[in-house]
Amino acid sequence: MMSTPDIFYVEDDPDYAFILQTAIGEIQEELKLSIVEDGRDAIDQLRLFSDEKNLPKLILLDLNLPGLSGLDILKTIKEMPHLKYIPVILFSTSDNPQDVKASYEFGANAYVTKPDGYNNLLTCLKTMHEFWFLQNRGLN
Amino acid sequence: MHSIDLTNCDREPIHIPGKIQSHGFLLAVNSQNFNITYASENLVNHLGESATALLDQPLQNLIDLLANLGVEIELEAILALGKSQGFDLINPYKLTIKGNPYYLILHRSAENYILEFEIATLQYDVQHIIGKSVAEILLNRSLNGLLEKAAAEVKRLIEYDRVMIYKFQEDGHGEVVAEEKNEELEPFFGLHYPASDIPKQARELYKLNMTRIIADVYTESAAIATFNNDAPLDLTHSTLRAVSPIHIQYLKNMGVASSFSISLLLNGELWGLIACHNYSPKFIDYKAREGCKLIGNILSSALEFREAEFNNENDQVYQTAVDALSEQLESDPEIISALTKHKTNLLDANSATGVAIIYEKKIYTLGQTPAMEQLEPLINWLKLTMNDSIYYTHQLSAHYKPALSFAKTASGIIACLLSKSMGELIIWFKQETLATMYWAGNPEKPVEKSEVGMLNLSPRNSFESFTEIVKNTAPKWSTSEINGALKLREKITNTINKRADEIRLLNERLKLAYEELDTFSYTISHDLRTPLTAIKSYTELFLARNKNIEDKNVQLLDRVLVGADKMRFLIDEILKLARVGRADIELAHINVQEMINDICQTVVSAYKADHMSIEIGNCPAIDGDTILINQVFTNIISNAVKYSTKSINPTITINGEEVNGEIIYKIADNGIGIEVDNHDKVFELFRRMENVKDFEGTGVGLAIVKRIVERHNGRIWFESELDKGTTFYLSFKKL
Repeated sequence: MMSTPDIFYVEDDPDYAFILQTAIGEIQEELKLSIVEDGRDAIDQLRLFSDEKNLPKLILLDLNLPGLSGLDILKTIKEMPHLKYIPVILFSTSDNPQDVKASYEFGANAYVTKPDGYNNLLTCLKTMHEFWFLQNRGLN
Repeated sequence: MHSIDLTNCDREPIHIPGKIQSHGFLLAVNSQNFNITYASENLVNHLGESATALLDQPLQNLIDLLANLGVEIELEAILALGKSQGFDLINPYKLTIKGNPYYLILHRSAENYILEFEIATLQYDVQHIIGKSVAEILLNRSLNGLLEKAAAEVKRLIEYDRVMIYKFQEDGHGEVVAEEKNEELEPFFGLHYPASDIPKQARELYKLNMTRIIADVYTESAAIATFNNDAPLDLTHSTLRAVSPIHIQYLKNMGVASSFSISLLLNGELWGLIACHNYSPKFIDYKAREGCKLIGNILSSALEFREAEFNNENDQVYQTAVDALSEQLESDPEIISALTKHKTNLLDANSATGVAIIYEKKIYTLGQTPAMEQLEPLINWLKLTMNDSIYYTHQLSAHYKPALSFAKTASGIIACLLSKSMGELIIWFKQETLATMYWAGNPEKPVEKSEVGMLNLSPRNSFESFTEIVKNTAPKWSTSEINGALKLREKITNTINKRADEIRLLNERLKLAYEELDTFSYTISHDLRTPLTAIKSYTELFLARNKNIEDKNVQLLDRVLVGADKMRFLIDEILKLARVGRADIELAHINVQEMINDICQTVVSAYKADHMSIEIGNCPAIDGDTILINQVFTNIISNAVKYSTKSINPTITINGEEVNGEIIYKIADNGIGIEVDNHDKVFELFRRMENVKDFEGTGVGLAIVKRIVERHNGRIWFESELDKGTTFYLSFKKL
């Protein structure tokens, strides 16, 4: 049985993945982050978590991915019985209103434009961590 | 009493004047009984015997008289020879009377033999010169060259002050088509003379006598004495025939002392004359006259084939012009430019003096055309009445009364319909015949009476009657001109159709390219964000992990961050613009009042402009895409606030009004304004004005606004004055 991450992150850009990982490490070292680069792998992995009934606490989805897009993954997640209650945050460089609208329509719990630069990301993640993992522990 | 004018000439029996010119003397002999029937009264000056003394006497009396003067001449034998062989063989018969050389020139007139004596003056053989002249003349290939050379050679031969070649036009009036003259004389070349200047019977005589000399207009003619006063002697073929007093007066009025003419015939008709004037009396020897006659004959026969050439020459020129225009239509994408701006233009395609093209609701003109206010009704008339693709006339005013007011510039027209539905056509104009001619006289000048009460006869006074004939009429269009116009019309319509298809295609491609460009800018800007974020993030991460690097190195990395931020900002702006092009417009009825209130609040707080006074007036609702329209008002109001923050009592007024089915919003500020020179550039991408350096911005805002407004089929414009303020106007169609 593989360990289930706290945060499941789908990101094809290794740079941003690295930066984010670094930032999370800085916030709370023991927070487990799993990064998948490809949409299909992500869905397979999520299915596996679902089968094992061992779910991640938060899913972060990049919007623009090769193959299946973030929206495709979102749609699949929201159709899977066990997974659909996991909070999903769309995490994208795009601030296109159409993308935002579509994301919410497909059931995203939040739409966050990727912060620009490490410092902004750190601030953003700190707030997010505070909200999702500390203040609302009960939710999880 | 008859009034004397040139129309009287037509009635004057000029072949039986009963007089001869006094430079020679004349006798007539009955061909049956050889009795002397007529004798000129100046006989006495030459032979010392009175004319009447010889009348009704046998020919022998004359022979005896001549014999007494030392002239041995077998007149009877000569007349007999002439009768059987023709007098041309004998003429001129040279004899010497009282030591003076004379020519005897013989011809038959009805039942009389006419004997004319004139002084022989030529000392040398003229034949040789004439041979050379003829060769010179015939060297010329063109008709004009031929005529000019002929004039020159005749002048050389007779040494008159002026030699003109005078051509009779279709309607009988004449034009000087070639001239050779003494330098100091005023040129007559190109002048036109009314038909009445050379009356009908005079023309008939020109056809019979190939040359005609008027030796001295200032000498009195000599009367012809006869016992038979009821039968005036027919002097049709006489070389000495006296000149009509009307013609004498005409010549005197022109200052001419001696006149000589050579007839030019084409197909048996009088084509023209070689008219020679001398301003002092100058007689021309018979042989020189005969030489001129030969030149006239040769020129006449040359005309016969060159005339056809001359007519074709014009056709050739027009044909070439039509071909050149066709080529220009191929190479120049602009139809109007192809027809008017190149080496060959529409005026070269025929004899028109002006042309108007009505194309794409505009009127273009070349040359002389009626004025715009005359042209427009004519165009409307043509559009209404033209059923065929072409309409032409050389008397427009006969069909279209208003044309009387511009008959001078346009009595002839060819109208070619390019498109009836679009009302597009080409109209060629040709001037009235009168307007194109240089009259040998001032038509405005009234007839004057001379001292003795005789009317002053000159070409000037015969003008009026001629004017009536050619008024409001242009020279006729030739078949080749009409055909040329038709050919050109076909070429133009083909080109227009082809061009329209090309434009339609180009438009579609442009639309596609535009869409692609939007997608491209969107994608590229989006894709650029990712590496940019990496640059910024790594730099920040590096700085976070290396707290101990030197300050100056930190500063360097800070510059990287500033650059990355700036680039990010620009990319975001481009994205916004590209998004406007890509976005689907979702029309909604927008409550502008609410929208503007919100925007103003946001903008004021963003610019910390609480001191700003914003007056919001009427805000009628408009139909548009809520997000995009919001962007429009946000950008415009932001600019208004931003650029007036530093003004004293900054005030912004916003007001909307409905005008003719449009809702026009007016957003005015009292900010820094826009320099007049920059008015065109305001909406350009990344364009920022000189005076906004101290204000933040990218130069994308107004480009976006314009794009959104245009996508809503609206309009945007502005008025501005530097340091006074700017007013933007936004107009939206009311749905």
